[in-house]
Amino acid sequence: MSSSNPKDIFVLVKQVPDQGSKAGLNPDGTIDRARAKRMLNPFDRYALQAALHTKKAYGGRVTCISMGPPPAVEVLLEALEHGVDRGVLLSDKRLAASDTLATAYALYKTILYCGHFDLIFCGLQTTDGDTAQVGPQLAERLNLPQVTYCEDFSLEGDKVKARRIIEGGCQHIISDMPILITVANSYHPLEYKSFRGTWKVQWLQRHPEDLKKVITTVDLDTVGADPEKCGLKGSPTIVAHTEKVGEIGGNCKMFEGQAISDMVVNIIEKSNVKEYLKIS
Amino acid sequence: MTDKEIKNSNTSQNTQNTESALPIHETPRGNVMVIAEQILGELQPVTLELLGAGRLLTDKLGTKLVCLLLGHNMAETTKKLIQYGADIVYVADHPELHTYRTLPFRRVVCDFLESLSEPPHVTLLGSTTTGRDLAPRIAAHFETGLTADCTELDIGPYEHKSKIDPSKLGLYPDCLYAIRPSFGESLKARILGPWKNPQMATTRPGVMIPLRADPNRQGEIITVPVNLKPEDFRLNVAETVREIASALKLTEADVIISGGFGLGTPEGFALLRELASCFPNSAIGASRKVVDLGWIPYEHQVGQTGKTVRPKLYIACGISGAIQHRVGMSKSSTIIAINKDPDAPIFKFAHYGIVGDVYQIIPEMIKQLKCVEKEQGEKTIVHSH
Repeated sequence: MSSSNPKDIFVLVKQVPDQGSKAGLNPDGTIDRARAKRMLNPFDRYALQAALHTKKAYGGRVTCISMGPPPAVEVLLEALEHGVDRGVLLSDKRLAASDTLATAYALYKTILYCGHFDLIFCGLQTTDGDTAQVGPQLAERLNLPQVTYCEDFSLEGDKVKARRIIEGGCQHIISDMPILITVANSYHPLEYKSFRGTWKVQWLQRHPEDLKKVITTVDLDTVGADPEKCGLKGSPTIVAHTEKVGEIGGNCKMFEGQAISDMVVNIIEKSNVKEYLKIS
Repeated sequence: MTDKEIKNSNTSQNTQNTESALPIHETPRGNVMVIAEQILGELQPVTLELLGAGRLLTDKLGTKLVCLLLGHNMAETTKKLIQYGADIVYVADHPELHTYRTLPFRRVVCDFLESLSEPPHVTLLGSTTTGRDLAPRIAAHFETGLTADCTELDIGPYEHKSKIDPSKLGLYPDCLYAIRPSFGESLKARILGPWKNPQMATTRPGVMIPLRADPNRQGEIITVPVNLKPEDFRLNVAETVREIASALKLTEADVIISGGFGLGTPEGFALLRELASCFPNSAIGASRKVVDLGWIPYEHQVGQTGKTVRPKLYIACGISGAIQHRVGMSKSSTIIAINKDPDAPIFKFAHYGIVGDVYQIIPEMIKQLKCVEKEQGEKTIVHSH
């Protein structure tokens, strides 16, 4: 732990619909975002842990940034309970229907607005978009080196050492800062909320004026983003067509209540298991 | 995303009287470009799959299929790319390109695209740790559209009727249709970005079908200049570690034996490994819960926050089949589920189900499969005489 200066740590989080809950599902299978149960994107929990770990191990301040409609403040409060120092919510109706490129642009402007940083942590991807694109697109805008699929890291002096997952192995990386890191879910899971954080959030919720100082809400004008590059207008991709995918399977051949050996004989006979056996 | 569609359909009703006047955006038909992927010189299977998919698009466009290969001493690979369908292989050969690093690769690809008089119509990469690292950088640099994790690709027309941006109104004859599952795979979305070339997409490994290699196929090989800058070396790879292939990669296995919380203990995976050993091309999968519990490392995790797999045979042992798991394996050709609970959601989408105790069923299955194996083995010997 030879690291010299305290670090300015940014972590990006997103509020996503809870796909595990049936509430807020339209008959056609799409999500009604207004009715759906909301949650912190599960991938972001690892990014949050990485940011809080960095602060604990090397010192510094954690800024949690999110983009979304006003209820997204909930995930910033959750991050405060876990121990981040401040939150910034970018919220603006003109951001509606932004694709990943437009989102990365808006976040890029927000990050510049938030000031100096050494490290930016993002989740690997979101559960509502599944693209894993916003992190690297943001790094491109900010002209930063990046480590995607990062499963472990440490700071040594002014360098970051990181382990990155690749197909059938890993890469050991050494990089300068500032850097953007997307954290894989093989990194340490998020620890429990801190008593201090929970207490702080409870207190802030009773003192809205102080809450506003800890969680700032900004719009496109505040961060100096060009509205033409945001929302539908700033998005080079559109969803031209969707179709519902039929339930897969649906007519499972069940074996139940018979002798174990009979059930196994049946399943081996009826299914195509034999085709894949090792021929000695 | 559906908001946009609603807007599109609303505006289309208002503009019906002007519909005949919609302009046609005839963009020049560019080539289809595949960015090849290699790890320490070893060409990755997804590249051949992309060439197969790219060939179909190229034939529809009537242009050329080109492949950009970055690496060092890749002469053999270049030939292979032609055999698998590339008309032109552009080779960026440099010692610094042997190991994948975002910044040098990004530099070479961006410089190359900028050097072309006409950008490719379509640019494709794999949805791998490399493709998902590089593709968004390229797309952001050129401010062009990128669709992740496609399962189908096509070329076709699109009529844009939304008046939000009047300059975009009109008919686009040759759009890339990037088709991907969305909302936990309950929907298939067709995503387009015809305003700007290259129209980019990544495809999931194991989905597209490579062409049969043709050793007589002819193609052109063109060298691409490599001009790296000091800022491209802010990040360096000290070492790339590849694990020995004894543990087969999940996404490439024909058979996956997967375990969940219903196993009761981490030792249950020993039994699954024994079952897996009956199949030559097999791997071990796991649900998120048991990975979180530390029963088995993350690389075995199948599902939304793990790997997406589509083996020929998937045997789920003690896995309840929550949506998060299902999205990662529902495309397997045959799914067999073993679970104590007859109401487990996995039985709603498995093809075959056994209700019972994993610890009674799997040993019996291993015993019977070994008998079958022996019989089949004997038959093969008989036939060979």
